[in-house]
Amino acid sequence: MTRLFYAVVLHELRERMRDKWVIVVGVIFAALAAAVSLYGRTAEADAAALSGPSLVTLCSLFVPLVALILGHDAIVGERQRNTLGLLLSMPIGRAGLVLSKFVGRALALTVSIILGLGSAILASAEAEREVIAALVGPTWLLGAAFLAMGVAASTLTRRQIAAASVAVFVWFGLVFFYDLGLLAALVATDGGLSPDTVAKLVFGNPAGLYRVEMMTRFAGPELFENLGMQLALPSATTRGAIWAAWIGGPLLLGCGALLARRSQR
Amino acid sequence: MKRVSLEGLRVRFGKVQALDGVDLSLGAGEITLLAGPNGSGKSTLIDILLGLTRAKAGRLLVDGERRRVDASFKKQVGYLPEAVAFSDTLTAAAVLRFFARARGVSKRRIPDLLERVGLGAAARRRVSGFSRGMRQRLGLAVAILAEPSLLILDEPTGGLDQEGLEVLLEVMAEWRAAGRIILMASHDLTLFEHRVDHLCLLSAGKVVAEGTPDVLRARANVPVEVRLRMADALAAGALQRDLDGWGPLRSMQIDAGTLVARVDPAALLDFMDRHAAGRADVESVRVVEPGLDRVYQALLAEGGP
Repeated sequence: MTRLFYAVVLHELRERMRDKWVIVVGVIFAALAAAVSLYGRTAEADAAALSGPSLVTLCSLFVPLVALILGHDAIVGERQRNTLGLLLSMPIGRAGLVLSKFVGRALALTVSIILGLGSAILASAEAEREVIAALVGPTWLLGAAFLAMGVAASTLTRRQIAAASVAVFVWFGLVFFYDLGLLAALVATDGGLSPDTVAKLVFGNPAGLYRVEMMTRFAGPELFENLGMQLALPSATTRGAIWAAWIGGPLLLGCGALLARRSQR
Repeated sequence: MKRVSLEGLRVRFGKVQALDGVDLSLGAGEITLLAGPNGSGKSTLIDILLGLTRAKAGRLLVDGERRRVDASFKKQVGYLPEAVAFSDTLTAAAVLRFFARARGVSKRRIPDLLERVGLGAAARRRVSGFSRGMRQRLGLAVAILAEPSLLILDEPTGGLDQEGLEVLLEVMAEWRAAGRIILMASHDLTLFEHRVDHLCLLSAGKVVAEGTPDVLRARANVPVEVRLRMADALAAGALQRDLDGWGPLRSMQIDAGTLVARVDPAALLDFMDRHAAGRADVESVRVVEPGLDRVYQALLAEGGP
């Protein structure tokens, strides 16, 4: 079981690093991250106020996309190639297969993030490097949450195209339309939503939590106050629990979906 | 592993009874062919042996002892899925390296294995450029990589060219000679007619018939075709008149001077004695045994729903 688990992890890592879509989006991400850093360098402004927030915005757009591309075909791809049964005929459980695929793809995601932010670090002024390096961990959490959602989509669908559609829907929904929906709700209720409810709704979305957490880190909590918003970051424990729920929840859902299927064809 | 038996298997998918009290016994050094129409339960039966589907009732016995499809059982099983594709980004050698690592098999076996299935020259080629038959051969290499005691082949001939078919048949013969167990699901009864030891015919989730091809042929009682080449048309007509009304005769016709008679298998010797032996106007006699495909059709009609 352990040997097989590691074999799948290594296989997934290698295979994902050859995936043309992962490469294309990863290269664009790295190029844009380096460009943002170069701009910050030439502007000679405070890195924390310029490069940091710009990179946060960039990461919150690209990293979920890379993660969903990485995750969406994890199981459904095997099913379509008629290799899911072959993999499950070996001594690895269904949950073991989902988890090993997640871990392998999470390693590929780590490589993408390190390359992207690494290129930003290389292009940045020395004073900015520490600021950018501090993005790696939270950005990985953001990516892992979306990767888990992609993997879950791959277990719930029977066709790769359906999984890709779910991935696109999740990306647009959580990265773009969620905040717009929140604004629309605020307008519709004419400010009837309490600040606490708004904060809970913002932090309920991994992309929102990431953005607020990072913006607070770089620009200070007064940034949101200056914008007329009351968004106090939850405690580190609560934030950890939110990230754990966004990573673990979809994985549990994926494992459950695969376990619940009577037939694996 | 000398004998794998499945007893009383019942599987239900919603309103469909996929398997309904199926018994099957697989012996070492034997090739068992699972046959039956689409939806008869062949794939479900295979899935149970692979641990991909759980039976509602029934049990698995290995060498007489009750077992579960657990890790130790799975280690002894090799599987070739129907129309297997593999990831397009990998080379043939990379596919086998992954499965070798996963199964704990030495990678040194890979070049020989690729040669064995006729893919030696394509080892470094990406699977994306492979034909369906080449993918199937690669799948066969994956299935036999860990030298499993139980080899399960699901529609193994799909897309295989003549060379691929020969490779498959050689591997099956080797595996049988080595005392391993082979279970195969296939619609290609004619190809495997003289290569299988045991045949299990499923229909609507039930075993309609099982046994050796000869036993099933006898049970099906499909008429034997006797082709008598006659000296001339007059002689053929005379024989036709003699045969007319003879009980065991199912049908007859004259085709370019040859009288083709279909008789009950049990009456074949009687037919030869009475109507072929000693007749000066019979130039040659040829007996054509019914093919396994006709036996299959007859048994299905007899035991079908």
